[in-house]
Amino acid sequence: MQRTLFLSLITYVLLLAGLATLRGDLLALCLPLILYLAFGYLRAPEELDLEMDRRIELERTVLNTPVTITLTITNHGADLEELFLDDTLPSGLTLHSGSTCSLVTLAMGASHTWTYTVSGPRGGYTFGTLKAQATDHLAVAGRELRLEAQGQLFIYPLVTRLRQVVIRPRRTRVYAGNIPARAGGPGIEFFGVRAYSVGDPPRSINWRASARHVDELYANEFQQERVADVAIVLDGRWRTNEFSHGHSLFEYSVQAAASLADAFLAQGNRVGMLVYSIYLNWVLPAYGKVQREKILQALARARPGGSDVFAGLQHIPTRLFPPHSQIVLVSPLNEDDLSPLIQLRAHGYQVLTVAPDPVSFELSFLPKQKEVDLAARVVRMERALLLRKLQRAGVQVLDWDITHPFDQVVQRELSRVPVWLQMHGSLK
Amino acid sequence: MTNIFFVLSVVTGFGALAWGYGTQGHSEYVRWFFLLGAVWLLGKWRGWKWFSPLALLIVIGSAAYGLWIEISFGWMMFAAVGGLLAWDLADFSQRLSYAAPSDDVAGMERRHLARVGIVAVLGGLLGLIAFVVRIRLPFEVVVGLVILAVLGLTRLITTLRKD
Repeated sequence: MQRTLFLSLITYVLLLAGLATLRGDLLALCLPLILYLAFGYLRAPEELDLEMDRRIELERTVLNTPVTITLTITNHGADLEELFLDDTLPSGLTLHSGSTCSLVTLAMGASHTWTYTVSGPRGGYTFGTLKAQATDHLAVAGRELRLEAQGQLFIYPLVTRLRQVVIRPRRTRVYAGNIPARAGGPGIEFFGVRAYSVGDPPRSINWRASARHVDELYANEFQQERVADVAIVLDGRWRTNEFSHGHSLFEYSVQAAASLADAFLAQGNRVGMLVYSIYLNWVLPAYGKVQREKILQALARARPGGSDVFAGLQHIPTRLFPPHSQIVLVSPLNEDDLSPLIQLRAHGYQVLTVAPDPVSFELSFLPKQKEVDLAARVVRMERALLLRKLQRAGVQVLDWDITHPFDQVVQRELSRVPVWLQMHGSLK
Repeated sequence: MTNIFFVLSVVTGFGALAWGYGTQGHSEYVRWFFLLGAVWLLGKWRGWKWFSPLALLIVIGSAAYGLWIEISFGWMMFAAVGGLLAWDLADFSQRLSYAAPSDDVAGMERRHLARVGIVAVLGGLLGLIAFVVRIRLPFEVVVGLVILAVLGLTRLITTLRKD
């Protein structure tokens, strides 16, 4: 209590001056100050016994949605004349309306409830402690208590609904799904013709083939459709995501990763997520809505970062991914990433690279000058060359100009298997 | 409500100083007291938190100096009480700014003003009584009081260092 010490100091100086000079009037001048301090100390609050409850309207929300936080404090101790409550907002969140502080008089057994709303950027936010400071009305004597009131709020990235994302991994799982499994069985797509066996439905008989053979019947076979393992790798390296003046492509990469994870999980696939940034954050592959939540939480917390260890993509831990599964890399890419991706392909993984276009992104905030245009042309050519080399190596590339909506780009580019991939995928 | 009482307290504090000094022929200080009072009001409006303690120090110091140069005790006591009230209300008003819109601010203001009003009236009265009722203290009692004051000061300094 700085003000109490200050007032005490003035009082002491006056007292000493009065005693030293033997002036009664100086001593008398101290009396209002002494009385002020005495009144304060007489009404000093006793030991605090407070209970705190925090309710968060939504634990998961999306960008720019205000969330209401309701705090209730109950006084189990003696009456409190002035109770100042100060809730600390996690860094990143901003106050939308209301106040994080409250000043109340709280009688014994009484409760006080107040609310405020917050909003913020993508992230995982943990609410911590609330500072309760009780004083008398003159704020001379006080007691302070920190109350634990945990709470979590996740602000998820924007998830765009993608209608269909076609992938062709070399190995599928045993459960039925949407992905052609390169094996005959029940399905929709024609797979081949085999000899008719007992139990085959008559409508599966291929009459045209059977007509060519006198003694044998032939039946059509369809391609089985199953679910697959999909590992989404989100590249969070500073060197690929961050540009001058604090501009970052990372939010677009996160949006793409979230939308793809949502689409793959909706198709019934087993999806895992690796955030490749300052450290590796791996969400184990699983199915369903719970996994969707886990992945979105990991994406909410994802931050770009720089690390010497993870400067290149060669440290992607391939052991985490099931053999011959589908890997989806979301990365703006740079020239050093060519050989690690080719190596992934060589290990038998089917690789799809979603590459937010850094050239058009950076150009959008650079001045329109001849030199800039020339530099952009050169960089565009380099990038086109890199993407072409990747395609030649069997890596499927989706070059995403971020000025176009992601779902439209996916609809255009990934809703059917490209011819070159059908060739590569089926022959290898 | 607090702001009105704050303005009244500042006017009382510096007005009493100015009146006391002015009536005793020290009119050179008067304009400074008016200026300081105006700065305090301005400081409150501009949110200068640091100015209130300084202003209280000036008021109490001026009152003590006024007593030293034999200015009327009543005006100086009035000034000290006014300064104390203004300092308290400035701080209280700042605390009130943290209150949420749903808080019972009016009730708290009422209770605070009642408490501080009682303190001011009682303090002023006690001071006047202490000035009027003069007791001669023997030398040993004075020495005892000095020792008590020094002990208190030591305790205060220890607390300050802990903080």
